[in-house]
Amino acid sequence: MGLAAASLWVIAVQSDLRIQVRDLSFVYPDGASVLDDISFDIPAGESVGLVGPNGAGKTSLFLCLSGVLKPKATLLRVGGLDLRDAEQRRRLPEQVGIVFQNSDDQLFNATVFDDVAFGPLNLELPPDEVRQRVAEALERVGLTGLEERVPFHLSGGEKRRVALAGVLAMRPSVLLLDEPSMYLDPRGRRELIHLLHILGGTRLIASHDLELILQTCGRVLLIDRGRIMADGPARNVLADTALMETHGLEVPYSLRQPSTS
Amino acid sequence: MTLAFSTPPRTHSFLSRLDPRWKLAALLFAAAVAATLRTLPAAALTLGAALLLALLARLPRRWFLERLGALALFLALFTLPLPWLLADAGPGWTWGPLRFSFHGVEVGLLLCAKAVTIVTLFLIVQATAPLESTLKAAHSLRVPGLLVQLSLLSYRYLFVLADELGRLRIAVRVRGYRNRVSRHSYRTAGHVAGTLLVRGYERAERVGQAMRCRGFDGQFRSLTEFSTRPVDVFAFLLLTALAAALAAWDWLPRLSG
Repeated sequence: MGLAAASLWVIAVQSDLRIQVRDLSFVYPDGASVLDDISFDIPAGESVGLVGPNGAGKTSLFLCLSGVLKPKATLLRVGGLDLRDAEQRRRLPEQVGIVFQNSDDQLFNATVFDDVAFGPLNLELPPDEVRQRVAEALERVGLTGLEERVPFHLSGGEKRRVALAGVLAMRPSVLLLDEPSMYLDPRGRRELIHLLHILGGTRLIASHDLELILQTCGRVLLIDRGRIMADGPARNVLADTALMETHGLEVPYSLRQPSTS
Repeated sequence: MTLAFSTPPRTHSFLSRLDPRWKLAALLFAAAVAATLRTLPAAALTLGAALLLALLARLPRRWFLERLGALALFLALFTLPLPWLLADAGPGWTWGPLRFSFHGVEVGLLLCAKAVTIVTLFLIVQATAPLESTLKAAHSLRVPGLLVQLSLLSYRYLFVLADELGRLRIAVRVRGYRNRVSRHSYRTAGHVAGTLLVRGYERAERVGQAMRCRGFDGQFRSLTEFSTRPVDVFAFLLLTALAAALAAWDWLPRLSG
């Protein structure tokens, strides 16, 4: 393979990586170091679980990847944009959609339609395209017909789906889901897992719900005290009893070995 | 859900069919006129006109009276002491060191009439168009986008904070707290209020982050398109002319005197 061909191959492979993080560290203004020397890549179309105990740095990492926090890193590219560059960081909402832990933090308009239209309007799309995207996003999450409902009168599961629709309407190439099953009852959780299977795409899902991670992600990053402690196939990482217990987690029920006694 | 945080009703009347921009402009002008009135007859007539408008707007009687009742409690605090506080040399009754002034009664009634008029006009605005339409109308009347977003978010998160307050009240009650006139009660109420403020601040931070993640840059954008019909302009002219006539009736005698 010639040098030029090799370079083209490297560029092609790199453009296929939707998230590239090298040596990422973040310290809050009060001096608390929450992320330390984080490095990982996520190729297009891969669904990756982010697990770790409380305070491990999962939400902070999401806020760094969505451009809210500005960490130190030797490489930080998400959806093809270099987040160290202010101009490219401004374009990030077109590429990255984040669904927060608490849907009440995310739904602020007076109707479901207005809330889902909020992002596309900020992208300054033509009105007809905004309406089309809202209709499509609501259909994908199964909420067609609720356009005129008031978001704060919806159930927890419906709120979560409206929050997801608001993000999908922006057609991001990367989806970040922070504790997506929090506040959901078993039915809402089942619906969410079904929805995640249908949606596909590049995803990073942070959750304590390890069964959900197992069902929706092929790969897992285990993070503790701001550092990545394990990166590998979900079934291998989550089934490692010693690793999980060392980092304050438990092997999911479905991966536990039956007792021999 | 508490009185203050219940969703406003949607009425169907000729006022709810008016273009929100013209309606808002006319009612804001009328409210501004009501605030500047100085004489009781003009204030009473303005109140009568506002109540007539409320009738035409088909405001639900119970919803309307509940809100006026809450206002009356608030007004009573300020207006009931006025006859004793504004004790001048004018007509009145005297009991020893106490003096009940008719002028104080007149000032109190004037204040009440103006306050009820203004609140009635705002309730008409609230009940005859969805809040988002009214706010979009305000934006198209050159109210800054930041102020419009702030109003929308404040309204939205009142419900969330009310729920949070409800949870905090339950949390203190299940641990044996009861409202009593005591130092402990006051301190607990202070802590609850403080916690609510801190949680409100933290939530505001998270909401801001969520908005920025969806491309918010401080601009208020909307798909709503308003259209002006002759009846909108006619209603606007009629209401503003009526308000201007009342203002003139109130002010002109003093200017000429």
